[in-house]
Amino acid sequence: MTVYSFETPSRQSLKGVIIIFAINLFKTIKKSIAVIFVFAISYIRDFEIVNNHGLKVVLGFGIFLIILLVISILKYVTFKFRVDENYFFLNKGIINKEQITISKSKIQNVYIKQNFVQQLINVVALSIETAGDDKTEIEIHAMSKQKAKALKEVLLKHNSDEINIDPVAEDIYFKASIKQLILEGISENHFKSLAFILVLFTGVYRDFRGYIDSFEIETKFKHYFEFDEFDIATFIVFNISLVIIVLIIAFLFSLIKIIIINFNLKVVRTANGLEISKGLFNKISLHLKKKRIQSITLKTNRFKQFLGLYSLRFTQTMGSKKQKERLSIIGLNKLKSNELIRGFYRDVFKNSNKQHPEKYFMRVQTIRWSFIVLLINIPMFLVSRYTLFLNIPILLLILLHVRSSYKKAYFDLDDMYLIKGSGGAIETRTDFLELHKIQSVELTQSVFQRRRDIASVIIYTGSKGFTIPHITRMNAQRIIDYILFKVESQHKDWM
Amino acid sequence: MFTNTQIDIETLPKVSDIALIPVEKSYIKIVLFNLCVIFISIIGTLFGLKFLKEDSKFDSIATTLIIGLIVVFIVQFVVLVLGFKNRKYALREKDIIYTKGLLNFSTTILPFNRVQHVEISRSFLARKLNLATLEIYTAGESGSDLKIGGLPEDVAESINEYLTTMLDDRV
Repeated sequence: MTVYSFETPSRQSLKGVIIIFAINLFKTIKKSIAVIFVFAISYIRDFEIVNNHGLKVVLGFGIFLIILLVISILKYVTFKFRVDENYFFLNKGIINKEQITISKSKIQNVYIKQNFVQQLINVVALSIETAGDDKTEIEIHAMSKQKAKALKEVLLKHNSDEINIDPVAEDIYFKASIKQLILEGISENHFKSLAFILVLFTGVYRDFRGYIDSFEIETKFKHYFEFDEFDIATFIVFNISLVIIVLIIAFLFSLIKIIIINFNLKVVRTANGLEISKGLFNKISLHLKKKRIQSITLKTNRFKQFLGLYSLRFTQTMGSKKQKERLSIIGLNKLKSNELIRGFYRDVFKNSNKQHPEKYFMRVQTIRWSFIVLLINIPMFLVSRYTLFLNIPILLLILLHVRSSYKKAYFDLDDMYLIKGSGGAIETRTDFLELHKIQSVELTQSVFQRRRDIASVIIYTGSKGFTIPHITRMNAQRIIDYILFKVESQHKDWM
Repeated sequence: MFTNTQIDIETLPKVSDIALIPVEKSYIKIVLFNLCVIFISIIGTLFGLKFLKEDSKFDSIATTLIIGLIVVFIVQFVVLVLGFKNRKYALREKDIIYTKGLLNFSTTILPFNRVQHVEISRSFLARKLNLATLEIYTAGESGSDLKIGGLPEDVAESINEYLTTMLDDRV
């Protein structure tokens, strides 16, 4: 069928040397970035050193590059892989030889990736992910596109299940346009990127505090704003503009991130699952097998809903954070997202029997939030008594949040699927899972719940736990008995 | 012949009907011993630092910390003692049940056909008391695994054997 034979050990494409070299160089630079930064700054400050030691530095760097190149070539030479009927074999290592054997049946995903350098020299990387932990990801750094595709097919083809990754229909089922991506980016939860940026800044600041302080930014700023006179208006303007700048950065950050990751997002339906490809600098394409899916999450928020945007996220066993990003499709409309879910879970929307948690749910949420507000109030009170007025909007927001999360919380259990709805003032999420993917169940009851005869049920799948919060104990027990009956009476494969 | 009769949920086997077996009473000694070891080592380190550093500021912080830790220790101790009676287990034909907790009482049920592997461990003290800890692993998150401490050695051994033969049969 294919012109390529993987039975005999083969190396990656010769261009792999370049990729390995680039990866090693990048890794080393990334690790020593702090040192380089420090050196660079001291050079800038004192040109004398550059004049005296310039040659030494260049020479040192040259030797370093040569060593790196030799290592890369050795790595390339020792890296050999082959595939037989049931296994994938990989030999690698210069001094510490490693032989890796992976059973084809345990392969969870095969990605074809292409980073910026790989795009330049027109090769792709192929990485294999098993259902073990995320450390077992194996990457072949450089292959021609055709060869990678052929290998992917060979790896995914297994005796027990006839996998056919040829698309059902040749045409693309879904393609996200730039406009959709921009809208997705704009309606993102920007607080997440805000938090990320703040963490990043504090980290960088802590690392380079000495150098940053030495530039005496503070005194310059003080001079600029003439803080000596302590003008309260300037102070406020300064702080507000700082906040606005940070907010704009956060906004741009999430917008650009969304566009880069999901650039040219394409989804093709195949007989056994989906073929997803996306990415600008890091192109990735993967085949999502129906069997390997542990749960599906449909997500939207108030703004996205208004714009008609929904995203789907698939989970698998032992998913890493990276994998979560890869296994998601954004920019879908309601119709398409439902159609995709139905593609995996055929009868999931057939019966609807939504059950809501007890009213106690709202009580718990209110108490929890009030506690947080109380904690915030202590420093607020110390600053100024007037800030206490801030409590009014905060409390209104909490009220809205608690009411929305109560309204959005439901579960729907039928003889094949569990659907769980949740959300808050802004977000809405719906989780779908098949009952035979459940690994274990747990009934929990806190002291406070016990007084009202209320309990929660936690359902564990191969990927994560789903909590059905605050239902009557009777109901919780019935659900557990039913799920156990379903899991134990049929011998369906969970993976 | 293929049948597909309706299932009456009320007639399904109920987890709540099962008579649960408490873990061995002597296991509480191990639980409390472990708790004491942890707290004594932390508090001991703090005391040591207090003596080494003759700094009045550090001294007062350390004292507050030690008092706080002692309070936490007492609370933990009481919770563990009172909650110990909730540590119970039961085996059914197709699953294993384990309950625990005082302030947050939980019942975990793990179907045998989802077991990935089983482990038995015995600490030094447990060997003296003829006890063993049984750990049953499923795929996926750690939350779905089960760890039952304080089983009589022979019980742990027989459950382990039972599950292992079942795993072998399943292939």
